[in-house]
Amino acid sequence: MLKRNLLAAVALSSVLVAVPAFAQDKKVIAVSVPAATHGWTGGVVYHAQKAAEEIQAAFPNIEVVVKTSPSASAQVSALEDLTASGDLDALVILPFSSDELTGPVQSVADAGTFITVVDRGLTDPEIQDLYVAGDNIAVGSTTAKFLVDKLGGKGDVVVLRGIPTVIDDERIQGFQEGLEGSDINVLDIQYANWNSDEAFSLMQDYLAKYPHIDAVWANDDDMLLGVLEAIEQSGRTEIKYALGGNGMKEIIEKVMAGDPMTPIETPYPPSMIKTAIYMTAAQFNGQAPVRGTVKLDAPLITQENAEEYYFPDSPF
Amino acid sequence: MTDITAPPVREPLLQRINWVDIGPFVALVILAVAGVLINPDFLSATNITNVVTRSAFIAIIAVGATFVISSGGLDLSVGSMTAFVTGIMIMFMNSLVPSMGANAIIAGMALVLCVGALAGLFNGLIVTVGKIEPFIVTLGTMGIFRALITFMSDGGNIPLDRSLREPFRPVYYGNFIGFPIPILVSIVVALIGAFILYKTKFGRRCAAVGANEDVARFSGISVGRVRTLAFVIQGICVAIAAICYVPRLGAATPTTGQLWELQVITAVVIGGTALRGGKGRIWGTVAGAVILEMIANLMVLSNFISEYLVAAVQGVIIIIAMLVQRFSKQP
Amino acid sequence: MSAAELMVEPAPETGAASPLMRLSGLSKAYGSVTVLSDVNLDICAGEIHAIIGENGAGKSTLMRLISGHVRPTAGTIQLGGNEVSFSKPTEAEHAGIALVHQEILLADGLTVTENLFLGREQTRNGVVDDRAMERIAAERLRELGCTASPRDLVGRLPIAQRQLVQIARALLEDHRLVIFDEPTAVLTTTEVDTLLRIVRSLRDRGVAVLYISHRLNEVEALADRITVLRDGKMIGTYEASALAQEDMARLMVGRELSMLYPPKRGTSTQPPILEIEHLSVPGYVADASLVARTGEVLGLGGMIGAGRTELFEGLLGLRPAKVAQVRVDGKAVRIRSVADGVEAGIGYLTEDRKGKGLLLRERLAPNLVLTALSRIYRKPYIERKLETGELDRAVGEYDIRVRSKRLEAGQLSGGNQQKLLLAKIMMLDPKVVIIDEPTRGIDIGNKSQIYSFIDALIRAGKACIVISSELQELVGLCDRILVMRAGSIVAEFSGEEITEEAVVLAATSGKAKAVAGGELQ
Repeated sequence: MLKRNLLAAVALSSVLVAVPAFAQDKKVIAVSVPAATHGWTGGVVYHAQKAAEEIQAAFPNIEVVVKTSPSASAQVSALEDLTASGDLDALVILPFSSDELTGPVQSVADAGTFITVVDRGLTDPEIQDLYVAGDNIAVGSTTAKFLVDKLGGKGDVVVLRGIPTVIDDERIQGFQEGLEGSDINVLDIQYANWNSDEAFSLMQDYLAKYPHIDAVWANDDDMLLGVLEAIEQSGRTEIKYALGGNGMKEIIEKVMAGDPMTPIETPYPPSMIKTAIYMTAAQFNGQAPVRGTVKLDAPLITQENAEEYYFPDSPF
Repeated sequence: MTDITAPPVREPLLQRINWVDIGPFVALVILAVAGVLINPDFLSATNITNVVTRSAFIAIIAVGATFVISSGGLDLSVGSMTAFVTGIMIMFMNSLVPSMGANAIIAGMALVLCVGALAGLFNGLIVTVGKIEPFIVTLGTMGIFRALITFMSDGGNIPLDRSLREPFRPVYYGNFIGFPIPILVSIVVALIGAFILYKTKFGRRCAAVGANEDVARFSGISVGRVRTLAFVIQGICVAIAAICYVPRLGAATPTTGQLWELQVITAVVIGGTALRGGKGRIWGTVAGAVILEMIANLMVLSNFISEYLVAAVQGVIIIIAMLVQRFSKQP
Repeated sequence: MSAAELMVEPAPETGAASPLMRLSGLSKAYGSVTVLSDVNLDICAGEIHAIIGENGAGKSTLMRLISGHVRPTAGTIQLGGNEVSFSKPTEAEHAGIALVHQEILLADGLTVTENLFLGREQTRNGVVDDRAMERIAAERLRELGCTASPRDLVGRLPIAQRQLVQIARALLEDHRLVIFDEPTAVLTTTEVDTLLRIVRSLRDRGVAVLYISHRLNEVEALADRITVLRDGKMIGTYEASALAQEDMARLMVGRELSMLYPPKRGTSTQPPILEIEHLSVPGYVADASLVARTGEVLGLGGMIGAGRTELFEGLLGLRPAKVAQVRVDGKAVRIRSVADGVEAGIGYLTEDRKGKGLLLRERLAPNLVLTALSRIYRKPYIERKLETGELDRAVGEYDIRVRSKRLEAGQLSGGNQQKLLLAKIMMLDPKVVIIDEPTRGIDIGNKSQIYSFIDALIRAGKACIVISSELQELVGLCDRILVMRAGSIVAEFSGEEITEEAVVLAATSGKAKAVAGGELQ
């Protein structure tokens, strides 16, 4: 597995180094992502557009078209529109759902288009040329290991999970694996739908139910915002850590500022779409196409390296 | 046969009790007793205060919804409208901070009330002037408001300026004579709502329009005006809820108020107001909102309900509450 | 009442072979209130048996017992010699008993055919056979003289047509006993004639018919035997030939009905109070003009669908209309809504008191003051005391009989509802009162009271316009009558010219003799 930073650097530099050829055919890369309906997808859209601008500015021979779709069926239609309007050389897609998009992407691939799949995999991995994804299990386990370490291997934690999906399951699975072998006791795990208001309510209820809590883990930063307000309101002092995950800029700011309750963060950065676009674009500048699977690591973000993960202009 | 001209009979006390009126409160008490049995912590002052405070948003919006539903309308847009007006309010206040400082909060409150009223007016006029089913109109505006907040926030969130957080914070977290401000606000909103609905000509007309539009028209009531005003009241209630909401997390996001419309409608119906219109029951609505929040609280406090089944148990409790009401009516 | 007061002796038990249905000691009580006690009745195949009685006498309860809608608390029903006990209407239906309801119970959003066959759709190869059903529907409608098409939406039909559809539905299958509960309440003369023909043909085919009506002339014309109920008790069964209408009325009311109608006031010579010039309601009324004066009851006759109701709904902005000028008390007014009408001094009582007049699930006082809210409350808020005071006054003034003031309007009898509606309009102190079908579906005692209220308001210096499909009422009550046909006012009668024949002729044929004021157009 390649390290994310290294990989992005390689992809970026290789593109930049290559000399744009004259009179070359204009290559078209289509990017299909979900519309910005919450923080993380908002970040995806931001980074996708950023990548498109950068690439088009640097290489006149590459055109990047970004399409956002508010639902799976809309994304299918968007794919049809993209392929209908001309020959696609490459498609970078963050599928809404694996099942529904597999067929339509297959038909795009059949036309000879280079396919890059991001984040959510298709049901048939044969279709894609390149797969770029974050590591949800690592998001959970990195956080868990941090807690095991800091709490000295024992303590009581409560967990807020999101919406029943693979992403949510994997993070919880990783978290539980990370705790294995320690005496850390998970008091409760409940759904709060990746929604800050619901997380606020749930955290209040946790606080009412459990007189002693050492740490809280919300498996997404939106929820962490609600958790932090609830803790502050309760005036409870025994809670040492309240951690999140995803790399929301408000949380990164806390890490950069050395917040004692939220000293670390685990990224599941929406910028993975940017990485994928750059890696896909590289082949149109004389590079050999990158194929295979690229899993982005979920390293621990601490005060020291937080700067690298901070995008003040991104909505996320 | 409806025309029995028997001598006047004094109805026995038990029959004179209007079960529809007190039903929600009975349900509330039963739920509270069940709560204590499930987990003694339930009755702790902090927990009860938290639960009731949290229900304030839904309660306040539902008071407005009682008007809309009572007048024979329906508003599905309240959740998105909350998010939208919240976003407008925060952006407006943030922009005023340099010139006004903390006074921006007052200006923001004034603005959000106007924006809420206008948003309600917008819904109301399309329903009454355009003569389109309120369900469809507000389904449309639900999407519009949701898209606007997503657009305004670029899909991320709109945070309240840091300098405003502390001065604004007491509006959600503060107390007045021992009661959290949001609880007091919802009581005041309900009091005003009850006064308007039960003690004014407008309230009377509102119920008449909902009970039978034709009778209202033939009685010289301007059906369109009454309906539109009900939507405006709804918009103002949404704005009041937004004022209490902003200081809680200090941000508006595209997920703010998500599915609140369903909670609001459920609260109104649990409260005893018929979905088809007619007599509205403000206090029942408030009780309904507290019931909903209490159920959610009990789900977390209980140890024996799987996290996967919470929604199902909530649904069952709501249906049972409605059935109890249905069958406790006089035959 | 002692037997001596009865003008007519009960008919002797008919020794005929066993009756189709025999009711013995049939009683019904709701809690402590007995609504029907000890009814003994034989109904024979091939007879039209009329049941008459005031509202509250127990007629509808009796019908509902027979048709399985409610179960008796005592007594038995025998059908064809066997005791039967229906627990629901469909069981009675399967036993060959059909009930034509007084209220119209049809689905507005469905077509005539769909309504006729609702719950008993015909299928072919498992698929609903619309074509066959439409054919049958068309045939049945034709037999009933109903002009509606099988594909019309019931909700778009006039009330009379809906009633015919309902009758067609009840007669769709062959039955041994057909019960008609006030079938003619909403029908006009010709439609009534058609219905009477149908009822007779049912009898001639050997069907037993139970016929409930307020209209004694219909009963007289139709019935073979008549059973009179009063206050939930059976007064007796009589051969129809032995009873004149006055006898029926006396038996029903239990007291002398001195005079149903108050004495007429004569043609008014006072200045006009309401003048309507050139009013048109697209599709209903073409260029109608009329003048109403204080001191007279102005009648508006014609068939249902002639545009009478629509004329006034148009006047009050309840439907789109064009009018050249409206003057009230000599002053030109512009009326775009009922509220404007109220302001100008026009009060309108709708013909549809349950659908458009009263909030059936609301209590009496709020109903009473609904239109007059702004009139009785100067301030924006409501004082209960004020309106309960108003209710007390209205209850006394209009003799509204209520068990409790906490009742909902829907719990009142039709007659009391009508009085409440009248009281509601009179709260506005209108100069002109327009009453659409003032006594539809209400019993004779209440009718007489309503007529006297109308007389009183004329004497109090107001004008009154009465729209009625009941010829007798129109002729008995009004001082002057306008007749509408197909959207136009075609004739005017006053004084001695007012006869049932003249009005019918003007309402139905183009050759009406133009009399006194003559044809306008």
